[in-house]
Amino acid sequence: MNSLLEELNCETVFTIPVFGGIGVSEAVVVTWIIMAVLVVLCLCLVRNLKVENPGKKQLMLETAVSGLYNFFEEIVGEKGRRYIPYLSTVAIYIGIANLIGLFGFKPPTKALNVTAALAVMSIILVEYSGIHAKGVKGWVKSFVEPSPIIAPINVMELFIKPLSLCMRLFGNVLGAFVIMELLKIVVPLFVPVVFSCYFDIFDGLIQAYVFVFLTGMYIEEAVEEA
Amino acid sequence: MLRVDINLVFTIINLLVLYLLMKKFLFGPVVAVMEKRKAMIEEQFANAAAAEKNANELKSQYEDTLKTANADADNIIQEAKTTAKTEYDRIVSDANSQAGKIIENAEKTVVSQREKTLRGLESQIAGLAIDTAAKVIGEQAGSLDNAKLYDEFLNKAGDAHDTDIN
Repeated sequence: MNSLLEELNCETVFTIPVFGGIGVSEAVVVTWIIMAVLVVLCLCLVRNLKVENPGKKQLMLETAVSGLYNFFEEIVGEKGRRYIPYLSTVAIYIGIANLIGLFGFKPPTKALNVTAALAVMSIILVEYSGIHAKGVKGWVKSFVEPSPIIAPINVMELFIKPLSLCMRLFGNVLGAFVIMELLKIVVPLFVPVVFSCYFDIFDGLIQAYVFVFLTGMYIEEAVEEA
Repeated sequence: MLRVDINLVFTIINLLVLYLLMKKFLFGPVVAVMEKRKAMIEEQFANAAAAEKNANELKSQYEDTLKTANADADNIIQEAKTTAKTEYDRIVSDANSQAGKIIENAEKTVVSQREKTLRGLESQIAGLAIDTAAKVIGEQAGSLDNAKLYDEFLNKAGDAHDTDIN
C-alpha cells in the first residue's frame, strides 16, 4: 500500500537552493525529457526539407503536419488558423505525456500542476484570441451576449472552462494510473497488458484529443462570434 | 499529486518554451516548405493556362490567316483568269485585224500587179498596132510625104510607151 501511495505522489526530484529551496517536481523533469526528445526528433526530421522531390521522411512529416492543420482548421475555423501550432504542440505534448507511462516514467499529466498549467494556458489563449479577433471592447461586449442576464454565467465560464479541462485530464490519467497499479497488484501477469492498452494508449490519446478539441472549440467560439 | 505550487509556473514556462521550439523547428519550416510548393504548383498551373491561352490565340490567328490566304488565292486566280481572257481576246482580235490587213494588201498588190500587166500588155499591143500600122502605111505612102505622119505617130506612141515603162 505504501508503494502505491508513493507511486501516486509526484516526488520532488531536486531542490533549487534559492528562496529557501524551490522543489522541482518529477512532472517538470519528465516534461523536460519530453521536450528534449521532441526537439531532437524535430531537428532530425526537419533537416534538408525540399520543395521539389521530397523524400519519404519528409512526406511522412508533411502528411502528419498537414493532417494536424486540417484537423484543427475544421475546429477553429479560418480565423483561428494562427493558433494551430500551439494546439498541435499541446496535442503532441499531452499525447506523449500520457503514453510515457509505457516507458517507465510517471506521466506528467498525472500531476495536478501540469493539467492546471495546461488549462490556465488554454483559457488565457481563448480569451487572448477573443481580444485579438474583436478588440477589447468586443471582447467585453461578448460577455453580455446574447443577453445581459447570462453575463454572470459567461463570467463563470472563465473559470469553469479551464477547471473542467484541468480536472478531466487529471482525473482520467490519475484514474487510469490507479486502476493499472491496483490491477498489477491483483493480477501481476498478462491481464495488465490488455488493460494497459486501453488505459495507457487509448484513453491517453483520447484525453489528449479531447483537451485540444475543447480548447479549439472555445477558441472558435471566441473568434468567430464577431 | 494534488500539489499546486511553483511547479505550475515551471510547467507553463515549459509549455511556452516547447511551443516556441516546435514552432521554430517543426511547424515553421514544414509549413513554409508546403506553402512554397503550393505557390510553385499554382505558378505552374498559371503558366500552363497562359501557354494554352497563347496557343489558342495563335491557332485562331493561323486559322484567320489561312482563311484570308484561301480567299487571296481565289482572287489571284480569278484575276489571272480575267487577265488571260482579255489578253487572249486582244491577241485574237489583233491577229484577225492583221490577217485582214494582209489579205487586203495582198488583194491590192494583186490588183495593181494585174493592172501593171494589163498596161504592159496594152502598150505592147499598141506597139504592135503601130508597127503594123507603120508597115501598112509604109507600103502605101512615099518616103518623104509620110515622114511627118510618122513622126507624129512616133511622138504619140513614144509618150505612151514612156509612161508604161515607168
